[in-house]
Amino acid sequence: MSGIVFVNTLRTSWKQALYWGLGLGLLGLYIAFIGSSSDLIQGYADLFASMPPALLQAFGASNVDVFRSAEGWIVAIFVSEAAIFLAVFAVMAGLNITANDEQSGILDVIMSLPISRATYLLERWAGYAAIGLGILLLCAALTLLGMVIFGVEAQMDLIFISILNLYPGTLLVMTVTGLLALALRRRAIAIGLSAAFVAASYVFNLIGGAASGFVADLMQSLSFFSYTQGEQIVMGEYDPANTLLLLVVVLAGCALSARMFLRRDIGV
Amino acid sequence: MASAAVIETRGLSKAYGSGSRQTAALRKLNLSVHQGEIFGYLGPNGAGKTTTIRMLLDLIRPSDGSASIFGMDVREQSVEIHRRIGYLPGELSLWEGRTGQQVIHYVASVRGDSKGISKHADELAQRLQLDTSKRVRDLSSGNKRKLGLVLAMMHSPDLLILDEPTNGLDPLVQQTFHEMMDEFRAKGRTVFLSSHILSEVQTICDRAGILRDGELKAVESIEKLMNVEFHWVDVQFRDTVPEGLAQNLRASDAISQVDVNGSRVKMRLMGDFDPLLRILGVGYVKDLRVEEPSLEEIFLAYYSDSKEAR
Repeated sequence: MSGIVFVNTLRTSWKQALYWGLGLGLLGLYIAFIGSSSDLIQGYADLFASMPPALLQAFGASNVDVFRSAEGWIVAIFVSEAAIFLAVFAVMAGLNITANDEQSGILDVIMSLPISRATYLLERWAGYAAIGLGILLLCAALTLLGMVIFGVEAQMDLIFISILNLYPGTLLVMTVTGLLALALRRRAIAIGLSAAFVAASYVFNLIGGAASGFVADLMQSLSFFSYTQGEQIVMGEYDPANTLLLLVVVLAGCALSARMFLRRDIGV
Repeated sequence: MASAAVIETRGLSKAYGSGSRQTAALRKLNLSVHQGEIFGYLGPNGAGKTTTIRMLLDLIRPSDGSASIFGMDVREQSVEIHRRIGYLPGELSLWEGRTGQQVIHYVASVRGDSKGISKHADELAQRLQLDTSKRVRDLSSGNKRKLGLVLAMMHSPDLLILDEPTNGLDPLVQQTFHEMMDEFRAKGRTVFLSSHILSEVQTICDRAGILRDGELKAVESIEKLMNVEFHWVDVQFRDTVPEGLAQNLRASDAISQVDVNGSRVKMRLMGDFDPLLRILGVGYVKDLRVEEPSLEEIFLAYYSDSKEAR
């Protein structure tokens, strides 16, 4: 691997990382601003306490006590919202790995060059994975900066870890989208199915978290949103096995994508 | 022409779709292209030219058969092969937001020698009168094509695979392209060129393969193709065409497409001239012109199964 495709991916897409990172970072700043007022977050916590569990889950937490601390407020609100925005980025990035270039015909030119399909796929994937990480780091930096500016008294390390923990889920959506685009060869169908995957995950997490029992637990375990664990990090209940599980699924998706890309026709 | 086969296909076939909806795009192609020759791959749209090229480049995989370039299997050793070839697709797509120079630099980097290649690319661009400082989206289709040619040739490949290379090029640049191909051949390099522009193939190619409905109908030297045994004969009589002459001409197996117009008669003659001269003897022939068939007519003759066309 020469890394040329990886570097080129970064060179052509760094603006994406900047804009997404700035956008999410501004959201983080805003949420940090609200978190700077303990009266305000206590008021919100009281409001959430009067809500049914399903609605509380929609705001990113299953335990209302999470909202009573500044870090709990920032993580629960910000992480749950950022996870949705990042899923949108991940779908776009997944399409950029091969599908967009294949549809435009550029892949014909690239694959006539002395570079193997596996190398190309891996470097493209790594390029967009790095862009995803860049977005998260920028967004975390702005959120933490907001906390300093607005004088929020909270454990910054927990917030930083919570934001970084969005990464495996982002990689998962990107990998699934890339895989679907490779398998289906139709960009529009891949977009539709990826969007359905994200939406279903969100709904499963929402419904699963709001109820109890086997079916509810199963639904929640099928949702990648449930593995972001913002609430668990704040409550000190973080389980690294969940992150590991997402990363294993991502690796399996990558391996399957590579296998598919090596075997199939390009641009047909 | 040297004898070593640069491209070799054995029973190369490709079908798209599956089950009852399967369509054969290429059937059992056996082809050899030798080192140092310019090989024209002729056929109308949908004949299977691009399918062949895409299989040679390992962009698509054959349903059956195999192909090798420089003695290496196109599937197993595609990276090694791609190092030594230059390719221009029929429909060229490039990064629209980047300048020609940026595209050249990127492709040269992937090829592994960006400095040397970029220098040669500049020379080629200058020769083709291409402004590489413009963004791809601002280039006309002809200039995009020029950029594609630069990308295909800038690393001085041993084999050029060009799909409809002169599409959209103006006649002056086409002339430059022909000169470049001659120089390329003079260096002992090989060109595999698909085209539906017969005059182009006639001008620059050493041999041509004619493809129809996914089947290779003929592979001949251009010289031989031009030597196909039919001629257009235009006879001018001093007076009107003698009575019964047209019927006699039409009755001959060697003559077809007889067209009588006043004192002139035009026809297509297969084989020797003697049968025609015997029939023409009934009148006073003022002028007789014989025209060689164009490659297009030969091409059409290969394409037609009827006696009329042959």
